[in-house]
Amino acid sequence: MSTRVREPVLFLVIGVLIASLMVFVVYPSIQVFLYPSGTDFIKILMNPRYQRSILNSLYIVVLSTLSATFLGFIYAYAITRTDIPFRKFFKGISLLPLFSPPFMVAFSYIMLFGKNGLITSKLLGLQVNIFGWHGLWFAQTVAFLPVASLVMEGVLQSIPPSLEYAGRNLGASGFTLFRTITFPLARPGVAGAALLVAIQVLADFGNPIMISGDFSVVATEAWMRVEGWADIAGAAVLSLLLLVPSFLIFLFQRYWVSRRSYVTITGKITQIDIQKTGTWIRWVLFLICFSLSLLIILVYLALFMGAFVEGWGFNWTPTLRYVQEILSRSPELTNSLLFSIFAGAGSAVFSITAAYIVSRKRFFGRRFIDFTCILPAALPGIFLGLGYSISYTKPPFDLYGTAAIVVLALMFWNIAMGYQTGIGVFQQISPSLSEAASNLGAGSLRIFREIEIPLIKGPFFSAFIVSFIRAITTLSVVVFIVTQKNVVTTFSIMNLVSDGFYGKAAALTCTLLIIAFGLLGITKLVLGKNVVLFKV
Amino acid sequence: METIHLRIQDVCKSFGNLRVLNHVSLDVPQGSFTTFLGPSGCGKTTLLRTIAGFYTPDSGEIYLGNRFMNTVPSHLRNAIMVFQDYALFPHMTIEENITYGLRIRKMPKDQIQARLERTVGYLGIGNLLDRMPGQISGGQQQRVALARALIMEPELLLLDEPLSNLDAKLRINIRAELRQLQQRLKITTIYVTHDQAEALALSDRIAVMNEGKIVHYGTPQELYYHPADPFVASFIGKVNLIRGRVTQHTLEGTWVDVQNITLLVKNHFTYLQPQAEVILCVRPETVRIVRASGDREENAIPGYVTNFIFEGATIRYWVNALDQEWVVDVFDPAEVLPPDTKVFLRLKPERIHLLPGGSQK
Ligand SMILES: Nc1ncnc2c1ncn2[C@@H]1O[C@H](COP(=O)(O)OP(=O)(O)OP(=O)(O)O)[C@@H](O)[C@H]1O
Ligand SMILES: [Mg+2]
Repeated sequence: MSTRVREPVLFLVIGVLIASLMVFVVYPSIQVFLYPSGTDFIKILMNPRYQRSILNSLYIVVLSTLSATFLGFIYAYAITRTDIPFRKFFKGISLLPLFSPPFMVAFSYIMLFGKNGLITSKLLGLQVNIFGWHGLWFAQTVAFLPVASLVMEGVLQSIPPSLEYAGRNLGASGFTLFRTITFPLARPGVAGAALLVAIQVLADFGNPIMISGDFSVVATEAWMRVEGWADIAGAAVLSLLLLVPSFLIFLFQRYWVSRRSYVTITGKITQIDIQKTGTWIRWVLFLICFSLSLLIILVYLALFMGAFVEGWGFNWTPTLRYVQEILSRSPELTNSLLFSIFAGAGSAVFSITAAYIVSRKRFFGRRFIDFTCILPAALPGIFLGLGYSISYTKPPFDLYGTAAIVVLALMFWNIAMGYQTGIGVFQQISPSLSEAASNLGAGSLRIFREIEIPLIKGPFFSAFIVSFIRAITTLSVVVFIVTQKNVVTTFSIMNLVSDGFYGKAAALTCTLLIIAFGLLGITKLVLGKNVVLFKV
Repeated sequence: METIHLRIQDVCKSFGNLRVLNHVSLDVPQGSFTTFLGPSGCGKTTLLRTIAGFYTPDSGEIYLGNRFMNTVPSHLRNAIMVFQDYALFPHMTIEENITYGLRIRKMPKDQIQARLERTVGYLGIGNLLDRMPGQISGGQQQRVALARALIMEPELLLLDEPLSNLDAKLRINIRAELRQLQQRLKITTIYVTHDQAEALALSDRIAVMNEGKIVHYGTPQELYYHPADPFVASFIGKVNLIRGRVTQHTLEGTWVDVQNITLLVKNHFTYLQPQAEVILCVRPETVRIVRASGDREENAIPGYVTNFIFEGATIRYWVNALDQEWVVDVFDPAEVLPPDTKVFLRLKPERIHLLPGGSQK
């Protein structure tokens, strides 16, 4: 209560944070629940078509999560705990997909392994149909392996080295050490990683829309409901089917699995002296890492090639036509760039401010801010997009077809990442620093400006970049809210791919990649090495 | 004649450009309790871990018994370590933790059980076996860590500051227990600490380390009374270091001149040439302090009290003499000498140690 009197600015900021979260996260989410009537639920749930898609989603979530987690663990283990050659290279390759559009893998694999695929048809002379569950499984495994691997690297590196030394010291080595010490200690972390991957696979829209063919999943069916039947209520029901399990997994992961963890991921890397790995195990691991990184590299190669050939699959003449077309006239690229800059900056300001206040102050509504800032991580893009489309396309908030609706959706969808990075950093910086300043007579605002701003720079820029990249590469959030007027690149790419215009689609995707990696490079140059990106 | 159990010969180890072990050589007798003592960062842990086989030396050799150990991987050396943070496996019960090494060795169950009961008996932790490491206290964790090592009947027991996480009282208790246990089981033990009191209390031998080198290796008494250099002298216990010059050697001993005061040292330091610069090491408890009245006494230095603290059994005085601050401990004090009292510091001729005078003050 005294806060209001003593520090009006702080009070105001807290008010704005809470109000924004209510309006831009809670309200649109609730709207999705309220929109459909009881009969809409029954209609969808009784329809065999949707029953099948629910089963399909379940099936593919289990498959892709298992394979991505399993391979991701091997990958992470190989690059953190063994002495296989090219570990740095493998690590680098596995980071690339984190800065790329998620649907890119499916698109590229269609070009590589599809009916007219470069590898399957041209090089091997095979007739393969990649569309279907197996193509989706393949694409999702490669698409989500990097995230799984990144999380588990964190887990493995947080195991106190003395535990593994103690194991060796007591006579365990090689596989015995792995079986009795390393793996059991990593297990809760692995489970956590698997759940994170499951949430992302479930919410994945880009890969299934491109590659799953007749194998329909809930996310794509929700979109079809609107696209084909203009049935928003039906889409709402379907997106709730995505939200509920995703939310439950999220709660389970956050409040149960992470509590059972033996290791706390501090981000501090403790290096253990790597011992010689057994010869054949070493080569098996090397081969696995090599194949997986090759699969990732191929994605990019195919895309760049695709942008420069006349007609993929039948006419391999090189051409600059698509590149010129893009550069000459492309409103969607301008939109993408502008929207993402605003969304990224907004998201960074919002999430770092919230993280700062939550980690440093005690006040009424603190838990609400904390929970709601992380919540978007559990919201499937489809769900949030639909929520915005229901909430903000009619009075009192009519933002239909505007830039604002896209920017706001992208901004709030991305606050979770920046918020968590911020919390992580602020928890490591002792509050006694600002307590000392306060003790010397500085007010909150002054402490913030003089003591903490310098510390905030790192997390702020990483929040900006991560949000920007996720904003410019997402498809699921925008499919329900873009129109002719505010169309963005990913949406155009989706339409181009489904109409078979691979050349132009590939050129657009490459442009997105260049923007994303360009920005990344600039920031690294400007800020140096110590920007932590993608804290998961 | 004692047999050498562990032999370290000219071992060097660097991390990147940082030379952490610099030509370390050491012979550890069978069944002895040897302590590595030194300031933080001097390479104690590194040396211990090199013995355990976690690090391979860049050069030099390590022998255990007659076995050449450099090429033996850590899991095949029976040199068991107790870690500073105990490193109990958090996913195993106390019993599983203790028996881990034996289970890895695939020892039959009944034998494991027998050894478990014996070890747990020594340490009085039989009631903890079903708990998890997170559910027991620091002192109990410490015993469990020790049990996990002892049950292996190690050839060499390595302890890296095992008591540093305990409170002062517990430290002293466990320290005594540890020493008794070691003497009973006759395990060759290496103990790392930077606490000199602990080192003096526990060890048969102490290796004092500084900047990656062993600067003095000997019994606690040798180290205390005949330190190899000023660093060792001031690292172990309190010492007064005074610059002087050798004047002559006689039958009585070595004569030293300190600012025109002649002092007798009743040990023969004949390796020091007359006129050689020397440093006198004088322990505070070997100095007698008397009120200055009348003539100067034998082997005495005039000065005046600057400060004192009363510690019960002793009084510690700070005395200014020969333009420097001396520390003097008086046991069973009859009277208290207030500051500015003129005094003589009487040095026991047999208790002065001489070091070649180097650069140090
Ligand atoms: N794995 C490593 N990589 C690089 N440098 C290391 C490593 N381990 C130790 N060092 C460095 O080697 C030096 C000696 O370290 P060591 O741990 O042996 O010291 P210590 O004598 O055990 O000190 P303390 O009493 O603080 O435990 C230190 O400067 C330390 O920073
Ligand atoms: Mg140490």
